[in-house]
Amino acid sequence: MSSTQEALGTVRQVGPTRAWPRLRLAPWMVSWLQVGPLALILFVLFALPTTLFLVVSFFDYDRTGIYPAFMLDNYADLVNSPATIRVYLSSMKFAVIVWAITLFVGFNVAYFLVFHVRSNTVRMVFFLLCAIPFWTSGIIRTIAWIPFLGRNGAFNQALMGAGITDAPLQFLLFSDFSVIVAYVHLFTLLMIGPIANSLAKIDPALIEAARDAGGSRWQVMVNVVIPLSKTGIVLGSVLVFTQVMGDYFVVKAMSGGQSASIVSALSTEIQAMQYPPAAANAMVLVLFTAIMVAGMMRIVDVRKELVK
Amino acid sequence: MDTRFDVELIETTKRYGTTTAVDAISLRIPRASYCCLLGPSGCGKTTTLRMIAGHEAITEGDILIQGNNVSDLTPIERGTAMMFQSYALFPHLNCLDNVAFSLKMRGVNKAERHAKAREYLALVHMQDYAMRLPSQLSGGQQQRVALARSLITRPKVLLLDEPLSALDPFLRIKVREELKRLQRELGITFIHVTHSQDEAMAMADLMVVMEDGHIRQSGPPREVFERPVSPFIARFIGGHNVLPGANGKIAVRADRCRLGVAGDGPFVSGRVTAVEYQGTMVRVAMATDPGDEASALVPDGDFYARPVEPGDPAILTWSERDVHMLAEA
Amino acid sequence: MLAGPSRTIGGTDRRPWTFYALGALFFGYMVFLYGPMAAIYVLSFQGENGGVTFPMTGFSLVWFADIVKPGQMANVPDSFGRSMALAAIVSVITTVVAVAAGLAFRRPFPGSGAVFYLAVASLVMPSLLVGFGIGLGFRLFDWKASLFTSGLGAQLTWTLPFGVLAMFAVVNRFNRSWEEAATDLGASPWQRLRHVTLPILMPGIIGVAMGAFTLSYDEYARTTLTIGQKNTLPLEIYALISSATSPMLFAIGTVTTGLSFLIIGVTVTLILRMQRRRAAATLKVG
Repeated sequence: MSSTQEALGTVRQVGPTRAWPRLRLAPWMVSWLQVGPLALILFVLFALPTTLFLVVSFFDYDRTGIYPAFMLDNYADLVNSPATIRVYLSSMKFAVIVWAITLFVGFNVAYFLVFHVRSNTVRMVFFLLCAIPFWTSGIIRTIAWIPFLGRNGAFNQALMGAGITDAPLQFLLFSDFSVIVAYVHLFTLLMIGPIANSLAKIDPALIEAARDAGGSRWQVMVNVVIPLSKTGIVLGSVLVFTQVMGDYFVVKAMSGGQSASIVSALSTEIQAMQYPPAAANAMVLVLFTAIMVAGMMRIVDVRKELVK
Repeated sequence: MDTRFDVELIETTKRYGTTTAVDAISLRIPRASYCCLLGPSGCGKTTTLRMIAGHEAITEGDILIQGNNVSDLTPIERGTAMMFQSYALFPHLNCLDNVAFSLKMRGVNKAERHAKAREYLALVHMQDYAMRLPSQLSGGQQQRVALARSLITRPKVLLLDEPLSALDPFLRIKVREELKRLQRELGITFIHVTHSQDEAMAMADLMVVMEDGHIRQSGPPREVFERPVSPFIARFIGGHNVLPGANGKIAVRADRCRLGVAGDGPFVSGRVTAVEYQGTMVRVAMATDPGDEASALVPDGDFYARPVEPGDPAILTWSERDVHMLAEA
Repeated sequence: MLAGPSRTIGGTDRRPWTFYALGALFFGYMVFLYGPMAAIYVLSFQGENGGVTFPMTGFSLVWFADIVKPGQMANVPDSFGRSMALAAIVSVITTVVAVAAGLAFRRPFPGSGAVFYLAVASLVMPSLLVGFGIGLGFRLFDWKASLFTSGLGAQLTWTLPFGVLAMFAVVNRFNRSWEEAATDLGASPWQRLRHVTLPILMPGIIGVAMGAFTLSYDEYARTTLTIGQKNTLPLEIYALISSATSPMLFAIGTVTTGLSFLIIGVTVTLILRMQRRRAAATLKVG
């Protein structure tokens, strides 16, 4: 596989004895043997089902079943419904706010861990502290906010105990506020991980060189650190953005029925066995997400950065 | 304000926890000199360089640059610039922007800083590569860009961390000449860290040999070579035999030793262990009977008049006036 | 040279003000992260007549006892067992497949871009939709959806891309010349993999396995439409929330966290010991 081995091979050919021709695979065949299982699994379990609901999205349906057809009614119904626009706008709003907050918090926490914490052990402990809540079910982590933010919740008790407010704050729970809080709680780690990975790859000599050149803290940050951590920022943003767009639990549990998410609307249709409109709905969401992700990935060639 | 010196170290110490990397060293580097910090790996030379650069905090002591105490200043305030061993070129910027970086930090407008950066790229003969990214350059080219980037800050002192170690031998000699030329033309002090005594002797005005966090000897290369103070120095800079003398250890230059017969002068007997042909000279390595290693650098004509082979008995002779007494260390 | 403290910016040992600002932010984030968790840990010890919110009416362990009592609504122990079994299988498959793929991606090969973007697409695809697609496929062929067929498949579309991305980070730090040295020393490709590549990558591989396990253990959006009749723990919890909420949910959370700490503790100890052994070996050599 390596050039060394090939070189040895040539030597052997010239040599007088050649025991038996060795079976040697071309490098690309070895790669495909290694990557084959992944490709196969993703093709069968991801690409085919996606194609399937693309097909089904054009089918006809009634209360008793679905019928093969090619019609655009499912899409027309979807696009013409004001509810669709509303739910997309609401999801986009959440996605943008949560993205901004998690990016700010995630970048700064990652920066702190990579550049300010000096002991490797302390850094590892801090990383684990960030990651441990991730091990607890997302559902439980979401509903954990209910006793915390509720009327008689810990937060209100603390505020009143400290004399900051007289009456419990009402907007804390079952509101856009609580939805955003739960998203940030769930997804900030998805920012911290990739960004910290990018930051850790920056050669410290680059930062020293920038300081040699007279760069202030802020200038070094803008001109060196941020450009060199672009990969992590993009990757983290993609993860957070798609998680929020694909959510169907948090909005349901935390908005108190005031908002809906795209997917929870979709799951209602699935439960009602209305597969073709659900499939059309899914296709629109997939396209929408794909366009957004492709846009973000244009900023930096994530693949080239990751596979070096 | 004493301005005869570009850099002064006063009892400078660096400790990491309980490990002392640099132990209260003092050094004065005269104006516009080429200074080489030389020593085996782990001797503290790079730590010293990084303390002068302001990239490593000083545990105790002070550092003065042109008479000003800079111990608490940032690199740019000190007037130092460092050329990193890995060159540390910013991978996301092309050569021109790398060189112009410090001007950008100072808020110089684009046209002006690019013009200036081109000037410095021309100084190192890299003007044709202005738009290339560092990854598109060879090691030698990257180094020249790094040099231009350091020089554009108009430093009082340029610090070079093993600048030649990544280059092939032919390029190394060329770059050596070029660095020396630049230093002379710019009239500033270069401090160059290396573990190669050839490099240090070829380039330095002031050669500083370090070992184990201490400066063992400093002076012009010729002085260090002709009068090493200790067996360590004599062995490290090479070309010497360290042998037992009447009052402690002595050093004798290998090129002043001959193979011959016991006579009136000092001698030691032993056995030849290796013969190396070096062109104009032949190096004959010996194990002496008292148990030392020694060698003689013999002109090729003399050697082939009376050749020896490994395993042959031999007698190493030298003249009394070539003996240099070493302080016991 | 002596290794100093690993990565610091600037030459002074004095901390810059940004250290304190970011330290405060980190501390705030920790409070934010653990605050609500602390609330549920406390509430899981709620008195027998208490509810899912403050105030506490007393202190009891009845909610923990409730977990193991098979109720009419839910059977937590069984679903827990199913979740663990599924997570274990997912973790093994993910590790093997992702490690192999990570090794493949170290050199360019025809189609590598397609496979990479397939993995990225699978990662960013809204979770429920993957389950929807697979569920639809099973319905089409009249196969019965179940835990270890469609459920397992749906989870792999999620854990595999994560595993592959993590392997990229692991493999990037791997120096190719170690393998070349092994070949020079007469190792066959298998010996090289077994004695050089895998041992060096092992801490990263353990990380991938752990990650896959937890991703699977917590997964519900992809599983919900592909699971068939019997629920995994997250789905059971989901069902519990929709029906009746009781502090038992919090007790499950407390137990899960406790178990997580245990598993993490064991893994970290393993990795640390591995690194220490390696460090000791390096010291001996260097």
